[in-house]
Amino acid sequence: MGATASAVIERQPAREGKPGIAYRYAGDRAVLVEYGEMEFDLTLNFFVLAVNDALGTWPLEGLVETAPGFRSILVSYDPLQLSVDELLDHLHAVHESLEAEREITLPSRLVRLPVAFDDSQTRQAVERYIHSIRKDAPNCEGGTNVDYIARYNGLADREELYEAVLGTEQWTAFIGFFPGLPFMFPLDPRDAVVVPKYNPTRTWTPEGALGLGGPCWAIYPVESAGGYQLIGRTLPIYDLAARNAAFRESPLLLRAGDRIRFHRVEEQELLELWDDVHADRYPYSVEEGTLDVGAYLEWLPQVADEAGKRRRLREQAATAAPVP
Amino acid sequence: MVAGNVEVLEGGIQTTVQDYPGRPGMRAQGFFPAGAMDHFAHRAANLVVGNQPSAATLEVTLGNVALRFETGATVAVCGAPVAVSVDGEALPLWEGRRLEAGSELRIGISEGPGFRMYVAVAGGIDVPSVLGSRSTYTMGALGGLDGRALRTGDRFPLGTESGDAASGGGWRFRESARPPYAREWEIEALRGPQASPDFLTEQDMATFFGRTWRVDRNSNRTGVRLEPQLFQWARSSGGIAGGHPSNILDNSYPVGAVNVNGDLPVILGPDGPTAGGFLCAATVVHAAFWKLGQLRPVGDTVRFREVTIEEAVELDRELDARLTGTSLEQV
Repeated sequence: MGATASAVIERQPAREGKPGIAYRYAGDRAVLVEYGEMEFDLTLNFFVLAVNDALGTWPLEGLVETAPGFRSILVSYDPLQLSVDELLDHLHAVHESLEAEREITLPSRLVRLPVAFDDSQTRQAVERYIHSIRKDAPNCEGGTNVDYIARYNGLADREELYEAVLGTEQWTAFIGFFPGLPFMFPLDPRDAVVVPKYNPTRTWTPEGALGLGGPCWAIYPVESAGGYQLIGRTLPIYDLAARNAAFRESPLLLRAGDRIRFHRVEEQELLELWDDVHADRYPYSVEEGTLDVGAYLEWLPQVADEAGKRRRLREQAATAAPVP
Repeated sequence: MVAGNVEVLEGGIQTTVQDYPGRPGMRAQGFFPAGAMDHFAHRAANLVVGNQPSAATLEVTLGNVALRFETGATVAVCGAPVAVSVDGEALPLWEGRRLEAGSELRIGISEGPGFRMYVAVAGGIDVPSVLGSRSTYTMGALGGLDGRALRTGDRFPLGTESGDAASGGGWRFRESARPPYAREWEIEALRGPQASPDFLTEQDMATFFGRTWRVDRNSNRTGVRLEPQLFQWARSSGGIAGGHPSNILDNSYPVGAVNVNGDLPVILGPDGPTAGGFLCAATVVHAAFWKLGQLRPVGDTVRFREVTIEEAVELDRELDARLTGTSLEQV
């Protein structure tokens, strides 16, 4: 291989209110399309989902599938039917066809889910970890991760942490890692919380656990290993057996672009709801809707001062907290 | 539970039902494709018994499998060298044979080189298709037989034979068309998606493609673990994505990506995670992906050979050309 070998096929600068784009080889059957810079900016994800929707409506022979990430899309194709140059031409045309970020309106459902904080199942996951993996993990003191998350973010107590979870809609940026697992980020930056992941990872997590890793929330769709700090448990979000009507069309409850709003219940009630879900007595609350990106970007400055103040407190607390 | 005409007398170390190309099209919902890890041996075995390449086979890891056929069936075993017998009589690999009703097929333990064998039966393994494929996907616990590996006492049904001449047995896959198996593997890969100069240094990439990597014992269908390497890195940290320079904002992973977890490279297998926050320095090309299924944990080594996209596509064409009737001969 000569000096020409590069993982980057092409770069396009930002223009007309759209982010810059880098096209990268991801083997001979996929191209990774990256948007903007490596910044924690939800606007990039809004643009990603708009591109992904457009790709879904522009058929192309040889294009196999597209999978969004936070600020990228993995485009899989069959190189025996479609050359990488033809694929890039198609992607250029789709990007051209889109409106600037501010003009985008995305389909976005509002999904309401109950959460029981610091429930016995997530505590059991922590206990198991202490007994079988690591005794002295600072994130597991007291047999729970909840106090560590609060402390790491400089919050006065657990209640302040719970308010942060309940106070905002969570944006489902994409689905991945496991079948049906949503990667979620708070739409209200005042409610952002951040925490380091487990080190080493956990071998067991209960189904429906709600966890935080870095700035990202996730719900565990199945019993599994995991590395996110656990705060509580919600309802099933994945069911191949389709015991509830919500899973009849797809085994996944959630999709990219969904907004999740959590409400608090006690554990006993959550357990009863689990039974109701499996007996098909519980109707999941899913409302069709949209996200107007322009309106959202106009609202952000109104909360920027408060969000900045909280972020500085958080960053200060983090420097004093032990890392797992 | 699945009923059927084939009884599992011995399930072996990890034997799963796999087809090809598995379950593509569901990455955005968190499903990696699953499917045969060595797609060459899988497709060759199907060819030998007159099946379509997509037909489901049994993927046998290391061996120790015994099956009893209650009806007549044509079978072939392709892959790593191993002793195979039908009612005590030896059956060479890469060769289709008609079994009478009541026959027992036994597969011993492979001493290598190679790690996996594929058992094709004319008509294919006819377990129910789940989300578009019969492949067992261990991470999602679906497909195959109840989403798990075969166990003693399991039964499964067979599909309808194609009526193709090979489905009656008596054909073999030419020796000249079979791939070479080794202990020291050379695996073709494209650099990226996250390589030099933005994530790793040129020196790092030279090290990546230059050094020999040992295959770790904790390797399976989700990933082939290599050994730790202290890279120089082009960045001092992962920035907002995390402290370590191998961290990036979470993105979707390609199948066959060499995913660098901190200092540990892991080649993502067919059951791997679909997305995550570690960079992928290189990606194994489709034509070389079958080799991942034959890497033997403990003992085998890997060197990556950098190829261009044009070479990768040409390799793929050559591989497909070998998986046609011209590679068959009568026994």
